[in-house]
Amino acid sequence: MLSRGTVYKGKTGMWAFTAHRVTGFLVLMFLLLHVVDVTLAGISEHLYDTVHAVYGNVLLRLFEVGLLGALVFHALNGLRIIAVDFFDAAVRRQKQLAWAVVAVTAVVTVLGGIVIMLPFFTHKPVF
Amino acid sequence: MAQTLDRNETGTESDQSSAAPNRAEARMWYYMRISGLILVFLALIHFAITHIVNDVVETDFAFVQTRWSNPLWRFFDWTLLALALSHGVIGVRTIAEDYIRKPRLRVAVKALLFTVVAGIFLLGTITIVTFSA
Repeated sequence: MLSRGTVYKGKTGMWAFTAHRVTGFLVLMFLLLHVVDVTLAGISEHLYDTVHAVYGNVLLRLFEVGLLGALVFHALNGLRIIAVDFFDAAVRRQKQLAWAVVAVTAVVTVLGGIVIMLPFFTHKPVF
Repeated sequence: MAQTLDRNETGTESDQSSAAPNRAEARMWYYMRISGLILVFLALIHFAITHIVNDVVETDFAFVQTRWSNPLWRFFDWTLLALALSHGVIGVRTIAEDYIRKPRLRVAVKALLFTVVAGIFLLGTITIVTFSA
């Protein structure tokens, strides 16, 4: 299908392009799973609560931090793609924009990650 | 439109034997940007409510019951479901077009993708509509 290679030129853009596909795919896989677990609420209160409680364990909390990172990266990089597609100024600064996406993703994921992980250790919600 | 598509990342513009596939590609190209823009808000608000403002263990059956007693939340959740699944299915379709070279395998993978996502959309829709709060 793709004989001429893909299109965003340059290292940063290509790297962001690949990460966009990987994070998008992973978020979709989680969404499919998530619809199934919410469906349980339509079947039985007990069944839903039993399965849902699993999301509180430490491994799944780490998974949720990963989901947050993938989601925030995909959202911000998507905005960068739209900006680069429609605005010349964004094309000129696409490299800085890509690094801004990475930086904001890192900050949001770390801060959000703390809020997500803490209740496992303190046994009470942060907010 | 073909010129525009040649410069972007959809990567599926190689079939230029007729205008029709390109029109469909162009529509999907725009759809990804419009749905993506809305999803930035819907998906991040959803995540913030269910993982940041509330802890994940607090979003139990009682939480779902309270939330879905308001039809506006059902509408929010269904819109998020529909936009996220359609955005996701078009995105993975593009990935399949790019990387799966064998035509029959590509068709099979896309058929599986569309079937699974359609099934999940149906399941999610039934759950949101029929849940008795």
